[in-house]
Amino acid sequence: MAPKSAHQLKLPTLVFGIVEIRRLRRELEALEDFVSQANIREPGKQPQLPRTSRLLDALATENNMQLLQGEHRTYMMHFLQAIEDEAPNIHISFAVDPSSAFTLKIVTWLRDNIHPFALLEVGLQPTIAAGCIVRTTNKVFDFSLRERFTGSQDLLIKALEAAMAEAPPAPVTAPEPAGAAA
Amino acid sequence: MTIWWLLLILGTILAFGTAFIWIAVHLHAAAKPVKSLAESLQGAAEEDVDHIFNEEFREELRNRGRLHFEKILGENAMFLQQDLRLTTSQMNEFMKGEITKELKAAFANYENAISSAKELAVESIEKTKTTIDQERQALVTALAKEVGEEKDRRIKQFDERMGQVINHYVLEAIGSQIDLNDQLEYILNEMETHKAAILEDIRSGT
Repeated sequence: MAPKSAHQLKLPTLVFGIVEIRRLRRELEALEDFVSQANIREPGKQPQLPRTSRLLDALATENNMQLLQGEHRTYMMHFLQAIEDEAPNIHISFAVDPSSAFTLKIVTWLRDNIHPFALLEVGLQPTIAAGCIVRTTNKVFDFSLRERFTGSQDLLIKALEAAMAEAPPAPVTAPEPAGAAA
Repeated sequence: MTIWWLLLILGTILAFGTAFIWIAVHLHAAAKPVKSLAESLQGAAEEDVDHIFNEEFREELRNRGRLHFEKILGENAMFLQQDLRLTTSQMNEFMKGEITKELKAAFANYENAISSAKELAVESIEKTKTTIDQERQALVTALAKEVGEEKDRRIKQFDERMGQVINHYVLEAIGSQIDLNDQLEYILNEMETHKAAILEDIRSGT
């Protein structure tokens, strides 16, 4: 089967971001080196591949690629290089470290709705309490609870004023000097 | 022989000379006049005086004189002592009076000085009090103004950071209990809402 062009390959959802892309590239390079060395040692014999990672297996499986074939490895390498160079990188900060399942859902949504090769970079920002902050190339989208409270500030002030109107605070007076009391 | 003769002659001459002198003296004594009666009485009186004022009598007189002198001396000493005491007493009185007068004058001066100082002190205290009152009033005014400004600033700051305050409160209160999976729908909805903007930014690129 002829390999697809670089942009016809599919990026598995397990591969979240640029870190995984680079890890895959390093693994593919190592695999390439291994196969080359095996061919030099025993030419014409099918080498026994070393144990590959889950990400590389997913990449090869979802794209119907054979890791034993050098052409496929080259395509995958080009694909990964193209992804690293061109794919949009979206940074999302959460209040706590997200689980893999949660990240998977986010990545799926991004690949379905934003860009098929969108890469996710997860950040940690405990002060946002809830929600997230999305940073694209030029913009920041604050979906945090903090921003929501700031947006609802007028509502909060009105609620506070209503509460204070029901129970007015005691007037604050300047204290008398000690000599005046005597 | 001659010498013997010469000595005999000289002896004879000396005998004659001595006899002549003795005769002349006796003749001169016999030639004096007889004393008068008054002179004789006076002489007798002088001799009696010598008999009366003999040494014992004189000693007696001396003793009497000594006693009299001592008596007079004692009286004079007593008088002198009395005078001295009187003088001392008068001196004391005088000194007492003078010292009292001086002290009164000095005390009067001191009283005047103290009164002046007291007036000055009171005046100074009044001025200080007035100044302090003015300063206190100014301070109270400034403090009230500053407190008002600070209050306004705090209220404004509180208004501006209301969202942060409540967010912090929520974070502290239930931050650990907020599950990220529960927020997935909210996050996806928000991202769906801003999908167009995100796509636009990604398409525009760098």
